[in-house]
Amino acid sequence: MSVPFTLLGLLEREPSHGYDLKRDYDSYFGRSKPLPFGQVYATLARLSRDGKVVPGEAEPGDGPDRKRYAITPEGREEFETWLGEPVEPEPHLQTILFSKVVLALMLGRSAEKYLDTQRAAHLQRMRSLTEVKRAGSLIDVLLADHGLFHLEADLRWIDMTAARLPSLAAAVTS
Amino acid sequence: MIRFGLRLTTRGGKESMTRLVVMALAVSVGVAMLLLTMATINGLGRQNARGAWMATTPSVEVGNPHFGHRGPQVTAPAASAPIWWIVSSQDFEGQLVVRVDVASTGHNALVPPGIAHLPGPGQYYASPALATLLNTTPTAQLGNRFAGTEIGTIGSAALPSPKDLVIVVGQRAKTLSKIAGAGTITSFVTSSGSGGPDSSGTTGLQIILAVLALVLLFPVLVFIGASMRLSAARREQRLAAIRLAGATMRQVTVIATVEALVAAIAGVVIGFGLYLAAAPLLVHVPFAGQSLESGDLSIGWIDAIIAAIGVPCAAAVVGRFALERVHVSPLGVSRRVTPQPPRVYRVIPLLAGIVELAYFVSAGRPGSSGGQIEGYVLGFFLVMIGLVLAGPWLTMQGAKIMARRTSRVSVLLAGRRLSDNPRGAFRAVSGLILAIFVTSVSVGVISTIITDHGAASGTLASKTVTDQFAFGPANSVPAVPSSVLSSLRSIRGVRGITVVYVAPNDLKIDGAVPHINNLGGDLQYGVVSCAHLVTTPALGTCHAGADFAALGDDIAFEPITKSVTIAASTTWPTAHPTAGLSGLPVQLIAVATNGSVSTINDVETVLDSAFPFESMTSLFGNANAKASQLLSELRTTSEVVILASLLIAGCSLAVAMAAGVSERRRPFSLMRLSGAPLSVLQRMVAFETAGPLLVIAVGSALTGFVTSDLFLRSQLGETLRPPGLAYYLIVGGGLFGALAMIGSTLPLLDRATRPEGARME
Amino acid sequence: MSVELVASDVRPTATLIQAIDVAYDFGETPALRGANVSIREGEILAVMGPSGSGKSTLLHCLAGILVPKRGEIRLSGQRIDTMSEDERSTLRRDTFGFVFQFGQLVPELTAEENVALPLLLSGMRRNDAIVHAREWFERLGIGGLERRRSGELSGGQAQRVALARGLVARPKILFADEPTGSLDSFTGEVVMELLVTAARDDGTTVVLVTHEPRVAAYADREVVVRDGLVTSLNDHATST
Repeated sequence: MSVPFTLLGLLEREPSHGYDLKRDYDSYFGRSKPLPFGQVYATLARLSRDGKVVPGEAEPGDGPDRKRYAITPEGREEFETWLGEPVEPEPHLQTILFSKVVLALMLGRSAEKYLDTQRAAHLQRMRSLTEVKRAGSLIDVLLADHGLFHLEADLRWIDMTAARLPSLAAAVTS
Repeated sequence: MIRFGLRLTTRGGKESMTRLVVMALAVSVGVAMLLLTMATINGLGRQNARGAWMATTPSVEVGNPHFGHRGPQVTAPAASAPIWWIVSSQDFEGQLVVRVDVASTGHNALVPPGIAHLPGPGQYYASPALATLLNTTPTAQLGNRFAGTEIGTIGSAALPSPKDLVIVVGQRAKTLSKIAGAGTITSFVTSSGSGGPDSSGTTGLQIILAVLALVLLFPVLVFIGASMRLSAARREQRLAAIRLAGATMRQVTVIATVEALVAAIAGVVIGFGLYLAAAPLLVHVPFAGQSLESGDLSIGWIDAIIAAIGVPCAAAVVGRFALERVHVSPLGVSRRVTPQPPRVYRVIPLLAGIVELAYFVSAGRPGSSGGQIEGYVLGFFLVMIGLVLAGPWLTMQGAKIMARRTSRVSVLLAGRRLSDNPRGAFRAVSGLILAIFVTSVSVGVISTIITDHGAASGTLASKTVTDQFAFGPANSVPAVPSSVLSSLRSIRGVRGITVVYVAPNDLKIDGAVPHINNLGGDLQYGVVSCAHLVTTPALGTCHAGADFAALGDDIAFEPITKSVTIAASTTWPTAHPTAGLSGLPVQLIAVATNGSVSTINDVETVLDSAFPFESMTSLFGNANAKASQLLSELRTTSEVVILASLLIAGCSLAVAMAAGVSERRRPFSLMRLSGAPLSVLQRMVAFETAGPLLVIAVGSALTGFVTSDLFLRSQLGETLRPPGLAYYLIVGGGLFGALAMIGSTLPLLDRATRPEGARME
Repeated sequence: MSVELVASDVRPTATLIQAIDVAYDFGETPALRGANVSIREGEILAVMGPSGSGKSTLLHCLAGILVPKRGEIRLSGQRIDTMSEDERSTLRRDTFGFVFQFGQLVPELTAEENVALPLLLSGMRRNDAIVHAREWFERLGIGGLERRRSGELSGGQAQRVALARGLVARPKILFADEPTGSLDSFTGEVVMELLVTAARDDGTTVVLVTHEPRVAAYADREVVVRDGLVTSLNDHATST
């Protein structure tokens, strides 16, 4: 789960306190696993050190939770790049892809395009795996099968998500 | 449940409605046919009953009723004024004339039905048709036979048909008492057992009609079966679905029964309607020489109930067997299993039957007539059953060969389907086999008999009048009076006269007398003077230089079974009667004429008025005009049965084809989609249905003709004559009609297998 | 992310068949609204899309089964949508091969007879046609089933026979409409493997309609039929 990019996306929407960021993250992305405060502030600190976010003026009542953070132009660019990239079909694809979809919806963009790009990438990967199967040894075939089934499962989920986009968009932008 | 079943039946969609309609129509055809047959049988019976009084005989019959009997005279017990009575029959231009001579014995004499009083001597009552003839025909040709004046007409209630020629002649009691065969009667026969001299065949005719109806019933039952198989798979699937949805077996049975009942009831109602519409048309069909009046055609309550219940029951039985292969379990059928092929043993009965009949031909008939009957019946039975049993095997073999060797897709498809399921293909035409076989045998035998035995127009036989005297050693006509001979000679157009005498037992003959028809047993020959025989060439010729010749007993004694064409070409062996011909009893008088109708009528009149009771006149070989006519009409009936069964088989095939196309809709439409032209499928239909139809129709007709040839050869020593033009026309018409019906399924084929229609389901 | 260049991408090949702005509707329902697709010689194209999307209709238009209401179908540059039904039927018989999801084998014919059907329809003599047909049985791993009745084959065996029938006449284009739709995963894979190998060996162009990604993965590229139009997933504009 790519926490830094998610936080960047939330900040792209509007500058926020760390507390608000955690609250939004938990509510949209962290259903079963709430984000610890420590991780929020540690990530924000790292992003700030890398120049992707800037902390604003401290407000009365000290502590990191009292600072309002905003996204920088570098941070925005990095975020956009990340958003437009297809995700490697690694074990946690759906969480990352999911967050991309939600973020895109939040930002008022068409998620369909991202889904299509993802589909194309998956199919390309499936093609390669199929070539492997046709030429490879039995172990290769078994491993490739495993990969193919997972890729197929992903594609199925993508299809379902595509069908649900309208209601998802309504839920997210309310 | 019943209401649900009704709704399902009537709103089940076009396919299920079609099935219902076709089933109902099939049932209606069966019902109508059965009703028409029963009405005809009843009508014949009624007709017969009207004429039953003419069958009254005063004494035990000896020999053929046509010739007046020589039995002992019986004095009737004293009752209410018995009357003297004798019935004889004559021929006029091919029609039968029944002559009843009566004489009263006192007051309150018994009066025959249809007339007011008993006619006195010199008086007669004539039937309306005969009365008209007497008025319009010159007396020399007809009127002179009956001495007296007409005092009235016979009422129609006493005549089988209004066209009958009947006359009741009054005589003196003294005259009649001297006639052999006359006697007194005190009452008239009323039952229709063997009514009237002209209806000796009526009971036989009724039996034949019943048999023909049964024979036609086969194609109808097959048709019903085919209609049930239509969309049967769909229906089974639907019922299975209902069962799966939780309906009990009982409920499902109720639904299925409702559908069957609806079709049956509709069919019965339509069948009755068809009968009512067709019955008036039956009066145009002649049976046994006269047509039925529409008033005679009727069905009793029992007949109606039998038809109304019997046909649907038969349909139910058929249904159980028809649907045996279309079994679909609740979960559907995924794999197709090829049914068991028919075994080769099925051919055995057919071969056995043909061999047996052929054996009879070569080795001669079994001696006793009982053995004959057994032998022939067994032979026919074996051949018939053999045809039906061997059919599927023959179909399979033929189809296999076709499929293995062909390069054409249509032939391959048809051949494989036929060889895969020969029983199914055969089922549709199996009804045809029996019908065509039976009727071909009858057409073959009848055509030969009529051609050979009948006096076909233009032949010598048709121009020769014969007067046949009663057979028997006590023949009491010693000579023909010279007045009769001179009257005959004075008729214009008479070319020759021959008198055949009964040959004495010790007659010396050079060589053996050819028997044209050996009915078994020893009969006497006839003997003629060659000087006379040369004037009547229809009877044959003498050896050069002979004075007397011996004629075959069949010429002399049994006209109906003679083969008159053979007679004309026979040279009879020379005979040497020791005392010449004087004193020998007369057996036959033959008069050769120029063939004109008036001459023949004049000759017959002279002979009839000279010998009204002792003999019977007719054209040579046509003594029993009635029987010839009967045979001719039987032949027509047979041909009509062929026509009907061909048409019904065409219906069955069309329906079976429609069902078959539906079943194979998907592979065929995908085949067309892959580029196969529609013509391939059309040709396949032709091979699959028209092929077997033609082969079986022609094959069973040929087998029937072969069988009748074998029968004729061994029974009558004759060979088969080809049937007349009417047969070819009727059979051709039937085949054409059947093929047209099959052709009507072709548009369905196109629509069902259209490539655009191959959507994924 | 870089895209690997595959050798076949460099070799230029001609467009064999294309649909240009094709529209087709079934009464009120529009199935295709202006579909464009170009298929190169020797390529294996997967046509994807959910059911009812019109992908089968596109296949039918390309194969000359349906005549588009608007637009053109060109085979090697020649229009085939203007041909008569007889001409298109002959074209399908001589130039195209077909494999369907199920139900195309005539149950009462043997397997080898089913395979030989296209050859017999073209007028080849029976013995020659059967010899040609038999060659495919070993090739597709169903040797020994030649004389079996088609109605008695299992699903996988039947589809292989169907595949043989589609390829026996060496068509230019093989149209496969959900060829493995009725089969389980393993059997389906076997069939797809055989199909692709045979097509690649003989240089047959394949148009493969499927909604299953694992089947589409056997193709060289895929297009999606969506809303009556043909889209490529990569650049998200209606493309060829």
